[in-house]
Amino acid sequence: MTTRRRHRFPHWRGDVATAALLLAVLFPFFYLIQLSFRPKEDIFAGGLLFTPTLEHYGALWHGNFPFSFVNSVVTAASATALALLFGVPAAYALSRASFRGSRRIGLWILVTRMAPPIAFTIPLFITFRFLGLHDTRTGLVIVYLTFSLALVIWMMKPFFDAVPRELEEAAAIDGCGTWTTFLTITLPLTAPGLAATAVICFIQSWNDFFFALILTRTQASTAPVAIVGFIQYAGWEWGRMAAAGTLVMMPVVVFSVLVRKYLVRGLAAGSVKG
Amino acid sequence: MTVVPAGPAWTDRRDRDLVLGLAPALVVLALLTVTPGVYLVLTSLTPLNLAVPGSEWDFSQPLGNYAGMFEDPRFVHSVGVQAQLSIASVVLQLLIGLGVALLLHPNTPIRQLARSWMLVPMVLPPIVVGITWLALFTVDISPIHRFLAWMGLPMPPLLTNPSTALWAIVFAGTWQHFPFTMLMALAALQMVPESPIEAARIDGANRWQIFRHVRLPFIAPTLAVAGLFVLIDSVKAFPLIFIMTDGGPGEVTEVTNFYVYRQAFTFSLWGYGSAIAVLMMAGVFALSWVIDRITTPNDGRWS
Repeated sequence: MTTRRRHRFPHWRGDVATAALLLAVLFPFFYLIQLSFRPKEDIFAGGLLFTPTLEHYGALWHGNFPFSFVNSVVTAASATALALLFGVPAAYALSRASFRGSRRIGLWILVTRMAPPIAFTIPLFITFRFLGLHDTRTGLVIVYLTFSLALVIWMMKPFFDAVPRELEEAAAIDGCGTWTTFLTITLPLTAPGLAATAVICFIQSWNDFFFALILTRTQASTAPVAIVGFIQYAGWEWGRMAAAGTLVMMPVVVFSVLVRKYLVRGLAAGSVKG
Repeated sequence: MTVVPAGPAWTDRRDRDLVLGLAPALVVLALLTVTPGVYLVLTSLTPLNLAVPGSEWDFSQPLGNYAGMFEDPRFVHSVGVQAQLSIASVVLQLLIGLGVALLLHPNTPIRQLARSWMLVPMVLPPIVVGITWLALFTVDISPIHRFLAWMGLPMPPLLTNPSTALWAIVFAGTWQHFPFTMLMALAALQMVPESPIEAARIDGANRWQIFRHVRLPFIAPTLAVAGLFVLIDSVKAFPLIFIMTDGGPGEVTEVTNFYVYRQAFTFSLWGYGSAIAVLMMAGVFALSWVIDRITTPNDGRWS
């Protein structure tokens, strides 16, 4: 059957179209990377060939960018760790619970994922100024929990659903409590899902621009916000912008290739734009 | 201590344990989402302006912000811009996502490779998408502009022209988000059973007829959900507009989300900004409810 179909519709034309389309789609991505290696005097010339330089990366290294980059790493990693700590047991409980209301909780979590960030930002901005959390990493981590906690619960529940209950019942007969069973039997079986969830959670916080723009100023500003600084500079620091952009996107691209199988589920939860 | 499982006592104890696991997350989630939500609704009933002392708890005209909204031409304008952006995003992303999915659906090595690499735009940080397209739309350095000029078809700058700026943003946004609808469509196409396709083929249906009468009805519910997701996300549009046009030229790319940001964080009109944000929340909640309704009967189909 498959051979006959191949025979009917020769697939090489589709393959050529695929290759061409892929190159076109990835063109902006490669364009930014090459821009970051272009010598300053060459940026407006635009020939295909140029001698690559690290001058823009060097300039970043000597500026404030490493500081913002570290802020990004610390806040995204902390938010991910906290979201896993609270979210994983909750996802397991929702997966196994026989009590009423668990469906309603699921809907609440979906809604949290969907809500426009601006709706959280206004009250949180006022509260943070009052509590002294404005422009602190702690404040940013708290904000990132608004979406990453819901994401962890949303992503981990199906992994737990897939673990057969018979395995847990056997452990329960041996006298293990609910959470001992969970830690020794269920959690190790879902390790790949847990890793993918952690990565997607990290990416979502790492990619955030909106919250960091509003809730930080100088002390806790993250790498995406630092890039905006190059736009507002007079004279358009294209090379530096491209280098910073490349540094910010590289971890994301590497991570997402690692977990591409699980990306859909994470992003279907309504990725937070901003 | 011996525990006898499966009895009602065991189930009760287990449920109690599970509640203990669920409670901390629910408390944190409630603190982080319900509290700000309630606070947002409260501030939307006040003329809160941080520069005006005492405006915080002034509930003398609770619906003043809501009443004023429809007499505010800039707000009404932002809703119009939002509608254009949302409709264009949904239509373009569905069409392009579905088209690419149909192209990548057959299993050949290069198409399998493309299925992974096509996802790159979707995972990039929005700020990076913004600066990339800002560069590509800047005449001085953009290879696209240079190429078109070389072809003898010079393109005027799109971002500074009021009649094209919004479409340049829609274009960049579509590039960023089409992989999402593509993934949903691909997943749905893989679920279409082979037998009706084969039957249609034997009856002499051509490729278009097979798509139109066999595949499309099967994947339509998934596409509807994907469209709703795109719609919800388009309401949150911000980074691309912030970086590429800053709402301009004039106010032509000022969507509602951006207008709220301006009201609250530029003009300090927190009460008014909150009121618009409350309406946006209500709209997003309604759409989420629709998604929940569509997806519940066969849960997990599209995830």
